[in-house]
Amino acid sequence: MDNTLNISASPHLHARESTGRTMWLVTAALLPAGIAGVCIFGPAALKTILIAVLSAVAAEWAIQAAMKKKVTICDGSAALTGLLLAYNLPAHCPFWIPVTGSFIAIAIGKQIFGGLGQNIFNPALVGRVFLMASWPQYMTTFSRALSYDAVTQATPLALLKENKLFDHISYLGLFMGNRGGCIGEVCVAALVIGGIFLLLRKIITWHIPVSYIVTTGLFCWAFGANTPFAGDWMFHLLSGGLFLGAIFMATDYVSSPLTGRGQLIFGAGCGLLTAIIRIWGGYPEGVSYAILIMNAAAPLIDRYTKNRIYGTK
Amino acid sequence: MKNLIQEFFKGIVKENPTFVLALGLCPTLAVSISISNAIGMGCAATFVILFSNIIIASIKDFIPDKIRIPCYIVVIATFVTITELVMKAYFPPLNRALGIYVPLIVVNCIVLGRAEAFASKNSVMASLFDGVGMGAGFTLALTLISAIREFLGAGKLCGLTVIPGFEPALIIGMPSGALLVIGLLLGFFNLLKEKAK
Amino acid sequence: MNATQFLVIFISNVFIYNVILSRFLGLCSFIAISKQTKPALAMSLAVVFVTTMSSIITWLIYRFLLIPFNMTYLRTISFILVIAAFVQLVEMIIRKIAPPLYCFFGIYLPLITVNCAVLGVAVLNSDMYFGAETPILASFVYSAFQGICVGLGYTLAMLLMSAIRERIETCDIPKAMKDFPIGFIIASIMSMAFMGFNGFRF
Repeated sequence: MDNTLNISASPHLHARESTGRTMWLVTAALLPAGIAGVCIFGPAALKTILIAVLSAVAAEWAIQAAMKKKVTICDGSAALTGLLLAYNLPAHCPFWIPVTGSFIAIAIGKQIFGGLGQNIFNPALVGRVFLMASWPQYMTTFSRALSYDAVTQATPLALLKENKLFDHISYLGLFMGNRGGCIGEVCVAALVIGGIFLLLRKIITWHIPVSYIVTTGLFCWAFGANTPFAGDWMFHLLSGGLFLGAIFMATDYVSSPLTGRGQLIFGAGCGLLTAIIRIWGGYPEGVSYAILIMNAAAPLIDRYTKNRIYGTK
Repeated sequence: MKNLIQEFFKGIVKENPTFVLALGLCPTLAVSISISNAIGMGCAATFVILFSNIIIASIKDFIPDKIRIPCYIVVIATFVTITELVMKAYFPPLNRALGIYVPLIVVNCIVLGRAEAFASKNSVMASLFDGVGMGAGFTLALTLISAIREFLGAGKLCGLTVIPGFEPALIIGMPSGALLVIGLLLGFFNLLKEKAK
Repeated sequence: MNATQFLVIFISNVFIYNVILSRFLGLCSFIAISKQTKPALAMSLAVVFVTTMSSIITWLIYRFLLIPFNMTYLRTISFILVIAAFVQLVEMIIRKIAPPLYCFFGIYLPLITVNCAVLGVAVLNSDMYFGAETPILASFVYSAFQGICVGLGYTLAMLLMSAIRERIETCDIPKAMKDFPIGFIIASIMSMAFMGFNGFRF
């Protein structure tokens, strides 16, 4: 009898094909946001997306070959990481920004932990905060929406942080993406379409996106203005990278808790941290940092919300 | 004599205080941003470790076990004060560059660590060689980390720009980046050790 | 003395300016002892005890000894001696009541003496709560509370790290990166995440 025990960390991914299928479905759900981004910011956005995706795939191939492991670039996870990283970048950044970011995301965010299914932190976000801390001048220079040149326009949240938000941007404008920002975060409409697709296909559950978005909205409504309970919550929900983060980045299986209860706590924690950083922190946007901090807490959350095995106390 | 030489080299490779024992990390993160700082701090720390080891090994039989830690601290603090005064007098630019991390050698885990783990249990000669070895290991580790961090994080080596137009990754010059560099270096050394077997 | 100030001290020291992940103090024991949760919690408890008691005693020494006799330049040395005495006390207690734990901690228990976090909070208290060599109102209570909170911040970081490291025990990490290297990498990513709190203004 074969007595070898196979121990691995959860989630337990058995069939390569189903992993690949999931990854490509998520990629498909992200396409509307990418198309919207290219329409809003022009060919520079497409260039950034392609460079990021290709660099991520190349990085994974190179690292797995060097470590003498099976090369798994066809499962789509590296491409997905590259795509998500690109969606978090400004359209007109120099080419080596997505290259470096993708490499860091795959090497430090994923492969060093053992590869797919074993990372603690969302790899694309690891790449993003590395870039943000290393080259802040390139990561915070955003181009004007709907003009395909490199004229800069500050994001609504940045203007709010500096108390320079004088013209009221219409909610419809925010929803459709008529604002400065990262490639994939501006068009909330496209992100919502992708999110509904993922929910219908049961790739993600409602727990994290709903708890994340509701917590951010509630907190910003309560504390976002000078008087309590007068905050412009709709503005906060539609600005920055909240929908991109809540639907596509916080829901990453590997770096979020397993149970529904744990996911609700996780989403609420992300929402709370995002709102706190937006209102009182030095940065205008806190989604990346909030999700990474909650990723660090996910193993702890799992430990205290795991389902009890039947028969034990 | 062979044993003594072994004690010296142990501090450089097998039991390197930074890479193997994970001691002295706080000053390492803060000071390892330029090669000149690294060498200066390394020399100062070596002086303190060496002489504390010697004195503590000499008086170890006279210190009651129940108050040994405060006694070690008095010895270490004395030599740190000497170092601080000598630096202020003869090496003012280095003193300015290292700032509060000179008096903070008192809380450098390596000094108390070696006093507790080695000097309190071994002969004066052995402790002497151990002290020099640990100090040398610390200096080498600091210098290596600083070289990488200065190049990648500030685009310079020893204060001179090496590649024009190179945009350094600022995070490497910050403590988070230092942790990353140390982790990757440590992994690289482990890999070399594996290959050597 | 007002209640919001206590809330501010708590949130700053435990989360925003976390002693390990934002201030980078106390890293030696953080990397070395955080592989499993039980020892990590035991070490954290020892650190909380030492930071609290040393905050209290160093405040008293600063206020009633160093300032009246114009010896504030002896701050670092005297603070360290106080901390050393307390760590010796803790070491004797742990040796008596839990010898296996004492053996497990090894050198890292006496090293709480030189844990930068402990000296750090003592120095921070004397900087923050003494204005021009006189204590501000409620200085003693704020200092003692800050000592507790810094210890709690240390505990939070240890808890998070040990849960993560226990989870990656079963992961396929490259052999060269196991133990300390991956610990450093995780600490690096966690501290990058905590950079989100930079520039915080209440």
